[in-house]
Amino acid sequence: MTLLGPLGVALAVFVAAIVAPLALRGLGDIATKAPQTAPSRTPFAGGLPPIVHAWSRYHARYYVMALVFLAFDMEMVFMYPWAVVFVREGVTAFVEMGMFITILLLGVLYIWRERALEWS
Amino acid sequence: MSGLLARLAAGAPVPVFPVAGAGARDAVQDLRLQSELSLLDSPRAANVLLVAGTIPEELWDALARVHDMISRPRCTIFWTLGDPELRPPPVLPEALVVDADVAGAIVTAHRELLMGKRPSDPPVLPDEDPAQWRGVGPYGQGGTGMTGGTPYGRPMAELGPDRDGLQLDVLPLRVGPFFPRFPAGFSLDLKLAGDVVVEAVPGPTPYAGASVPPRPGLSPFVRALSEPVSIVELEMARAREHLRWLADALMAHELRTLGVRVLRLAANVQPGDGPAVRRLGRVLALTQVLTWSTKGVGRFTGEKVAGLGLGPVSRAAGIAEDLRTDDPGYRGLGFEPVVQQGGDASARWRQRLEETVQSLDLAGRANGTRTEPADRVESPRGRLEASSTPAARLLPLLADLLQGLEWGDAVTTLVSLDLDLEEEAAVGESVTAGQVVR
Repeated sequence: MTLLGPLGVALAVFVAAIVAPLALRGLGDIATKAPQTAPSRTPFAGGLPPIVHAWSRYHARYYVMALVFLAFDMEMVFMYPWAVVFVREGVTAFVEMGMFITILLLGVLYIWRERALEWS
Repeated sequence: MSGLLARLAAGAPVPVFPVAGAGARDAVQDLRLQSELSLLDSPRAANVLLVAGTIPEELWDALARVHDMISRPRCTIFWTLGDPELRPPPVLPEALVVDADVAGAIVTAHRELLMGKRPSDPPVLPDEDPAQWRGVGPYGQGGTGMTGGTPYGRPMAELGPDRDGLQLDVLPLRVGPFFPRFPAGFSLDLKLAGDVVVEAVPGPTPYAGASVPPRPGLSPFVRALSEPVSIVELEMARAREHLRWLADALMAHELRTLGVRVLRLAANVQPGDGPAVRRLGRVLALTQVLTWSTKGVGRFTGEKVAGLGLGPVSRAAGIAEDLRTDDPGYRGLGFEPVVQQGGDASARWRQRLEETVQSLDLAGRANGTRTEPADRVESPRGRLEASSTPAARLLPLLADLLQGLEWGDAVTTLVSLDLDLEEEAAVGESVTAGQVVR
């Protein structure tokens, strides 16, 4: 660990994550003595060959939900330090957290009104 | 160590990818009741390719491609369904031909395969990409698209407007003919923008020119075109067809345990089972997941289907068309067609359940009554004639119906329509057979 330093460790993990699946796949091909052929690598959609390449740009429709999730997830993180001091601070902490949650709840209602939770 | 692993793997349920040809639909479906087999939706997850019944020549290329996609070690089993003259398609030269006890044969072959006693099937298609990945430049570089050129001979998708006002790729895609959610042999030429169907055109029907004996579930209706058939036989066959559809549809909606239960009921259904089917309907109404995914999906208006004789699909849209009302035998039993309002996938589910109950009731009361032979017979999927089948009349309506749906809703719609392309081959056979008799 100390030998590589934090950046070196990250790099080692990165390299291992690329090499490991390739090595496993290569080993599998060697073990079966019959590597995958071009037709067996095409995507399965019922047996007909694909017309165009699978690289295509589409609307990542879930991105609003993903952003909303991240925002509320971070707000949940704020509750952990609060839980630690809750017993010591008593009613004050409770009321403060109540206000915080109320503001969040208004945010949820706003998201609901803007239809950000609907797929289409 | 590897011997122990192989033995353990051989003891697990056998992963099978089934391909049901003409006449094999019911027999392959019944294999889902066998606990030692696991019928899968993708060839990649399977080690055994099971091919059953007649596969028309148009589908041989697709079958070869599916064969090569089966995970190694793999083997191919061809099930003749007891027809000694049926041979496996020539694209599968290594197939093991089985007449009876197909489950036992699959388990044995799979065990031999894993223990190394049987060699893995070699690929049948050559290891060639459709074209080299080359751009327009002298060193294969450059061109249009994301990386330039046409990767492996496949052009990049083209741009088109998205429903959110963006310019995004419209992906042309061909699904079928062995896509597990579609009826056997059915394929769809799609254009997808994200998950929305921009255009859907049904592909050619492979059984159009073929002539194969109808599968057992369909044969009473084909016979009723030329000879008197007892109403008990017809109505029990109708109830079984509807229950078999229900089992498939439940599995398509990933309610697999319920699907197996329905399949077991379909195998042993008796005229007194009406209450059991009603209970089933109540259970289905309680599973809200099904209601959410079918309500308002794939709606046919009454005008659109009027006069087409699409059986439960027409009657679910409020059109009381049923050829059974023309038959004196059925009239004597006081037959009245049941109809639903709505015409969506949900109405079609309800309609088939109610028709099953009605069929069981008719079968219980019919005693020895027989139908009169007619040119047109009400089959479980609608008006069946020698010259025209329900599926052939339904296919031209699909392009309009599927356009604009999300892909999941499009599959829900197709499942609820219960297409059966085999009817055409079955009716063709009956016409030929009739000529031989005359």
